Amino acid sequence: MAGPSHPHAMAPSRPGKTRTAPPQMPASWWSHPRIRTYLLFDATGIVYLLLGLVALRVVWAIGSGPDVWDATMASLKSPVYVAFHVLGLAAVIFVGVRFFRFFPKSQPPRIGPAKPPPQPVILALLYVAWIGLTLLFAAILAGGIF
Amino acid sequence: MREFLLRIEPVIWLLFGQGLLIGTMLLTGWILIVGIAVPLGLVAPEALAFDRVQVLASNVLGRLVLAALVVLPLWKGAHHMRHLSIDFRGAERDVVVAPVVYSIAAIGSLAGILAVVRL
Repeated sequence: MAGPSHPHAMAPSRPGKTRTAPPQMPASWWSHPRIRTYLLFDATGIVYLLLGLVALRVVWAIGSGPDVWDATMASLKSPVYVAFHVLGLAAVIFVGVRFFRFFPKSQPPRIGPAKPPPQPVILALLYVAWIGLTLLFAAILAGGIF
Repeated sequence: MREFLLRIEPVIWLLFGQGLLIGTMLLTGWILIVGIAVPLGLVAPEALAFDRVQVLASNVLGRLVLAALVVLPLWKGAHHMRHLSIDFRGAERDVVVAPVVYSIAAIGSLAGILAVVRL
């Protein structure tokens, strides 16, 4: 078995004759709607990181006993937390809509012997999974089931 | 460091991609109930009473879901923040930014796994 491939294995041994500028964002990025949307998609990363840290705090509180848990739940009522979670919901829906639209296009033509289903089918399945999982998870958390 | 970052890229991308896919799917219901509905009183707070939450969270499936809920969004966030930095003329400072954001995600992930183990 061959060793791990070198990260620069695909780079040409010497620079080509054609001069190419290093890829960089134009200074007028704010006037390009497509670049703005792209950057907004990247910027949701800040929200996701914070959502992950808040989830860590909540999950940690379960293991710390009823008193810590009640205090944590009470702190989530602060307007700052509620506003952050509304922003978080907007970010998550934006990411879902945009990423699931790209997901079918990024599939390889074949996965081993299998061919992935047509792109509209993949997209529909993603939405079924997203909405279904959200309803199920929300129903469990809200006390509807279990 | 640049070479190291390239070498770990596939692992980062796996976690980042699952953060986009599974993280988004789990966070939607989580935020709706834990972040918004219960704090605003739209859902009775007894739904998230300690005893009920303890039972729900501490079985195997509950632990796995909560671990994914903490870990995957951290990597989605870290990788996107790194690329936001690169896009704003940050190719030079990437050797500092990438280790910082990935370290936050890695430490948070270990804490998240510990959090579900100690339930």
